[in-house]
Amino acid sequence: MQLSKGVSWRAVRQNWLLIAALILLLIFPFLVGALTNTDPTARRGLAVYWQGIAIELLIYGILTMSYNLLFGFTGVISFGHALFFGLAGYLMGGFQRAPELAGSGLAIGIVVALSVCAALGLLIGTATLRLKGVYFAIFTLAIAEMAYIFLSRYEPTGSEDGFTLGALPEWFDPTRNRIVFYYIVAAIFIFTFILIRRLMESPTGAVLLAIRENENRARTIGFNTLTYKLLAIVLAGVLAGMAGILFTLLNKKVGPEMLGTAYTVNPLLMTIIGGAGTLLGPVIGAVGLRLLELQLRNVQIALGDAVLDIGRALPIILGALFILVVLVFPYGIVGTFTRWRLNRRARSAERAAKQAEALKSVS
Amino acid sequence: MTGIFASDKRGSLIAVGAILIGLLLFSLLTTGDLNLLGTEGFGAYLGTINGGDFSITLLSGLLRGMLLFLVAAGLSIVFGLMDVLNFAQGGYFMIGAYIAYEVHHAPAIIAAVPDGNLRFLLGAMLAVAVGAALGAALERGLLRPLYARPLFQLVITFGVSILLLEATKLLWGVSPRSWSTVFGLNEGAFQLFGQQFSVYRLFVIAVGFGLIVAVALLLQRTRIGIIIRAGVQDSQMVEALGINVRAVFTAVFTLGCAVAALGGAVAAPFLGASLGLSTEFLLGAVAAVVLGGLGSYEGTAVASLLVGITQAVIAKFGVQYLNQPVWESLSPMILLALVLLLRPSGLFGKE
Repeated sequence: MQLSKGVSWRAVRQNWLLIAALILLLIFPFLVGALTNTDPTARRGLAVYWQGIAIELLIYGILTMSYNLLFGFTGVISFGHALFFGLAGYLMGGFQRAPELAGSGLAIGIVVALSVCAALGLLIGTATLRLKGVYFAIFTLAIAEMAYIFLSRYEPTGSEDGFTLGALPEWFDPTRNRIVFYYIVAAIFIFTFILIRRLMESPTGAVLLAIRENENRARTIGFNTLTYKLLAIVLAGVLAGMAGILFTLLNKKVGPEMLGTAYTVNPLLMTIIGGAGTLLGPVIGAVGLRLLELQLRNVQIALGDAVLDIGRALPIILGALFILVVLVFPYGIVGTFTRWRLNRRARSAERAAKQAEALKSVS
Repeated sequence: MTGIFASDKRGSLIAVGAILIGLLLFSLLTTGDLNLLGTEGFGAYLGTINGGDFSITLLSGLLRGMLLFLVAAGLSIVFGLMDVLNFAQGGYFMIGAYIAYEVHHAPAIIAAVPDGNLRFLLGAMLAVAVGAALGAALERGLLRPLYARPLFQLVITFGVSILLLEATKLLWGVSPRSWSTVFGLNEGAFQLFGQQFSVYRLFVIAVGFGLIVAVALLLQRTRIGIIIRAGVQDSQMVEALGINVRAVFTAVFTLGCAVAALGGAVAAPFLGASLGLSTEFLLGAVAAVVLGGLGSYEGTAVASLLVGITQAVIAKFGVQYLNQPVWESLSPMILLALVLLLRPSGLFGKE
C-alpha cells in the first residue's frame, strides 16, 4: 500500500474518477485541438477559444471551492465573498501596471494581493466570528458593498470602467500564449483541490465539520472554535483572491463588477447545486452552471410574435433556480448521490442481516 | 405595566441623547467655514454658521430615520420572533418605490386618474398590497419549509433579494427613475431659517411617527401584541400554551414587508426609484436594528432616527469638507460596520 512500492491498485480503483478527470484536464488543450482540427498553440482558432472557456471554468472552480470551504465545510455564511475576488484583482492590477515597478510589478502585485486577502479575512473574522453567524453574513455584505460603491466612484482606478492591465510577458500572456496560461491555471486548480482535500482529511478538517454541525458542542469539547473559523476564512479569502488574480489576468482588465453581488451569488449557487460540504460538488456546480450560462446567453425563443430573450432573463432564471435548489435540492448533485448510495448500501446491509437472521431461525 | 422604557434602559437613553446632541452640535458647528478659524479668528467663523443649512441636515436626517424605521420595524420584530434576518427587506422597499413611481407616471394611469394626490394614494396602496402579497409568499412558501435549517433560511432570503433586484432590472432597466410629476402634497412649501422645505417631507415624518406610535400601541395594548412580545421572549413556550405561533409569524412577516414597501412608496417622490435603494436601505435598517438591540422594538425606533441623523450629518460633512458625495452612499455600511465592531449587543439589547 506504500507509495514507495509504486502506485497501489486500491488507491487507483478508489479514485478512478479523479484520475480520469486529471488526465482529461492535462490533455484537454490538445484534445480540443484534435477534435476541432485547429492548432492548440496558435493565437486564434476554435481550440484556443475552448481553452479560454476551460480557463474560465477552472477559475470559477477555484472560487467556488473556496466558498465551499467556508459555507459547506465550516457552516459560515459570507455574503461578500466577491470582496476577496475583486480586491485581489484590483491590487494585482494596480501593481502590475505601475510603470515604476517595471518587470517585477506582477509578482509584487500577486504577493501583496494575497497578503491583503489573508489580512482582510483575519480582520473580518476577528471582528465578527465571535458573534452569531448572521452578523458575519451582514458584515461581509456591508464591507463588500462598501468596496463596490467606493471603487465604482473612485476615479484613480477608472470609476465604473475599471482599468486594463499593462503588457504581460509574452510567455505568460493569455491571448498570445494561452496554452501556457491554461496549464498555470490548471496547476493552481489542482493544488487548490488537493489542499482542501488534505485539509478536510486532517484533524483540523474534522474540527471544521464539528463546528458546522454544532459549534457549541465543538467548543465544549475544548476546541478554540474561533481559531479554526479564522483559519477557514483566511484560507478561503486567499483562494478567492487567487481566483480573482487569475480572472483579471485572463481578461486583462479589472472593474468594480468583480466586487458585485454576482461573484458572491454565483459561487453560493454553484456550491449548493453541486453539493455543499462535498469535495467534488463545487467543481461540478461551477462547471455545469457556467457552461449552462454560456449556452443560454444568446438563446432567444420565438413564441409566435413574442420573442423570449433567454439571455436577458438569465439572471432571473438563475435566481429562481437558486431558490428552487435551496428548497428541494439542498444536498446538491454530489450530496444527493452520496446519500442515495449510502441509503442503498444500508438497505442492502439490512436485507443481508435479515436473510442471515432468517437462515439462523431455519437451522 | 412598565412604561415603554423600563428603568434599566434609562442609561441607554442617556447614551442616545448624548450621541444625538453631540452629532447635532457637530453638524451645526461644521456648517460654518472651518478655514476661517485659523485665519480670521473665532468670531468670523461663528458668523458663517448657517442655521438654514443645519435645519436641512436635521430635517433630512429625521426623514431618513423615519424611512429606515419603516424598513427596520419589520426586520426587528421578525428577527426577535422568528430568528430570521430577512435580507430581502430592502428589496420590498425598492419594489414599493418603483410601484409608486410607475402608478404616478404611467400615461395610461394619468389619463384615467388625473388627480395627483389620488394617484399617489393609489400607488402607495398598490405598493402595500404587493409588498404584503410578496411577503406572505416568502414566509409561507419559502421560509416555512426551512425552519429546521436556519443557515438555508438566511441563504433563501438573500436569494429572494437578488431575485427581486433582477426582476426589477428586467421590468424597469438599470437606469434610476427620478420623480418628475408634481402633486398637491408635493407642491406646498414652508420656510424655516430662511430655507424652503417641501410640506411633503413633513408629511413623511408624520407618517413615520404615526406608525411608530401605532405599532407600539399594537404591541402594548392588543392581544396579538401580547402574543408577539411573548413570542420574542420564547416562541416555543407560546406555542406550548396552545397559540398558533406559525400564523402569528406569517402575519408579522407580511405586515413587516408591507410597511417596508410603504416606506419605498412614500420615499419615491424625493428619492426616486433605483436599484441601489435595496441594499442601501437594507444595510441602514440592519444597522438600526443591531444598534437598537435585537428584538427591542423601542430600541429599533430610537436607533433608526439616530442612524438617519448620523447619515445626514455624514453626508453633509462629506459634501462640504471632503468634496466627496460618495460618503452619503457609504454611510449605512460604515455605520453598520462600526456598530458591529463596537457594540454588537446594541444599545437596548440584552448582552
